[in-house]
Amino acid sequence: MIKYLLRRFVGWMLMIVVATNVTYFLAWGFLDPRSNYVGRRPPLSYDEVTQLLEPRNLSDSVPLVQRWWGWFSDILFRWDWGVSAVGESVNSQVAYRMWISAELVLGATILTTILGIALGVYTASRQYKLADRIGQATSVVTMNINIVVAALGIVLLAIGFNDLVGARVFFVTGSHSQDISGFFPVLLDVLQHLTLPTLALVLVGYAQYHLLQRTLLLDNINADYVRTARAKGLTKQKAIRKHALRTSLIPVATQVAFTIPAIFTGAILTERIFGWNGMGRYFLDTIGKNDIHGVVAVAAFGALLTAIGAILSDIAIVVLDPRVRVS
Amino acid sequence: MSIDQIQPPVGPDTTAARIPRKRMSLWSLYTRRFVRNRPAVAGIFIFFLLVLFAVIAPFIAKYDHIELDFLNLSTGPTAEHWFGTTSAGNDTFAQVAIGLQRSLMIAVSVSVGTTVLSAIVGTAAAYFGGFIERGILLIIHFLMVIPTFLILALVSNDAGGDWRVISLILILTGWFFPARVIWTMALPLRESEYVNAARYMGVPGMKIVMRHLIPNIGSLLVINFALGVVTAVMAETGLSFLGFGVKIPDVSLGSLIGYGANTISSAPWLFYFPAAALTLLTVSMALVADGLRDALDPTSAAGGQA
Repeated sequence: MIKYLLRRFVGWMLMIVVATNVTYFLAWGFLDPRSNYVGRRPPLSYDEVTQLLEPRNLSDSVPLVQRWWGWFSDILFRWDWGVSAVGESVNSQVAYRMWISAELVLGATILTTILGIALGVYTASRQYKLADRIGQATSVVTMNINIVVAALGIVLLAIGFNDLVGARVFFVTGSHSQDISGFFPVLLDVLQHLTLPTLALVLVGYAQYHLLQRTLLLDNINADYVRTARAKGLTKQKAIRKHALRTSLIPVATQVAFTIPAIFTGAILTERIFGWNGMGRYFLDTIGKNDIHGVVAVAAFGALLTAIGAILSDIAIVVLDPRVRVS
Repeated sequence: MSIDQIQPPVGPDTTAARIPRKRMSLWSLYTRRFVRNRPAVAGIFIFFLLVLFAVIAPFIAKYDHIELDFLNLSTGPTAEHWFGTTSAGNDTFAQVAIGLQRSLMIAVSVSVGTTVLSAIVGTAAAYFGGFIERGILLIIHFLMVIPTFLILALVSNDAGGDWRVISLILILTGWFFPARVIWTMALPLRESEYVNAARYMGVPGMKIVMRHLIPNIGSLLVINFALGVVTAVMAETGLSFLGFGVKIPDVSLGSLIGYGANTISSAPWLFYFPAAALTLLTVSMALVADGLRDALDPTSAAGGQA
């Protein structure tokens, strides 16, 4: 089993390396670091810009293969992802922003999954009853609201709420306030900033797990082994929890793992709306500022998330599915 | 023997039993199943209203979507400007109509494109098997690792907001996930009798794919198309909202919501109307897809009897 996971891991790593390198060449096709120096006052000559860019390995006067090798060997031997056209280190930017995004995405993912699965189990055991119908109708609607609309709608509601109460209960922008110290004040501040964007992500995300879990559980509730369990005297609730739920969780776990990159994309929009300085913001900045090394780092980060998702789903299958462990 | 003797006597009491009940055609079966799903009918109704609005509204609007009314800057909805105006004096009503038109056009063309492409690639992978299958799957997995959103942003930023280029990139980056789903759906068909029969009759592989495999997953493709519209609308509005998609003077629902977001507390109507149009569009299309699944999928129990 560990050998299997290890082999998958190596396969994904290779994919990430190739994908990152492809993105490097793609980025050079679309972005021009030189344009960052256009319109400077006093104006810089072509050669002056070249002199600035060359030590940063961003000058188009150097052949592309040579630029690529310089960039790639830096990562390979020194884990240095390069600098932007104006000299900011990509490593430090990513290291700082990664955690801001993680703060948002992790919480939202956990809440989305738990809420979705719980609702799926609840409605599946009450198929076609009122609660099931209401739950399904809401899920279809919330799932298909655009994240932008959902987030801005929540902003409007929060502004209204703040006005009503007459205090800033929810913060509409930013990930944290300056000059706050002490454990509980910081915790409260983080929660005040986190609530709205998390709410937006959960609102548009929970429904797919709800509907998937409901369908899968319904398929399993009538399976022979669940009926056997019921015949042996287990209550319906217990039979579902102990037998049906476990098998029906497998595809859901796979789905959750594979949507990690998608949640990240969703977070680009959410971060933009709520003014968070995370990876999403960095993604927009790097494209806007022709920051090739930054763009590639973001791409590598995205690819890494996909791989982590895939490997997590493999692990989940091994944990949940007894058949895999036997073979 | 006269002809009268051959023909069996037809009495008035046997007529009713003899004339078989007219066999229900496939289409009327589908329609009947679809109509049974009330939300789906509501969805298709809303969708038609939106299309109608997108087509007719530019003609009845008093202003063009790029025309500026300097007497009405950033006013709320009035009799003159039904949906209000922007701070530059654009009529929001005309803008929403054009934006909806643009978003619809992108969404439908992208969904057609991805459905066709993914159907061909997915079924071909399933039919040919062997190294072709493995090759296609490897490419698909590889494309899933490359962050497509980044490529979308890079290319459409470069294209300067031309909606045709945006559609093309959305097609090119959107086909592989559906192709993987279609591949799994088409796998059992590879072993079916009629495909085998065609193969032994010497029909070339690609022809079998086009003539036998694709029509047999037709219902899945129709559902895929409806869901693809939702996905494409979401992707396009996301890009345009961030400023990578459709650009001024052209407008789409995403770019309109983007402008609205900046003035959300001072001029909220700039957000309300495009957001409402967008939500109606995606939700209605999702309901239609749901209804189509009930009507077309033979394994779906939600269709009830018949």
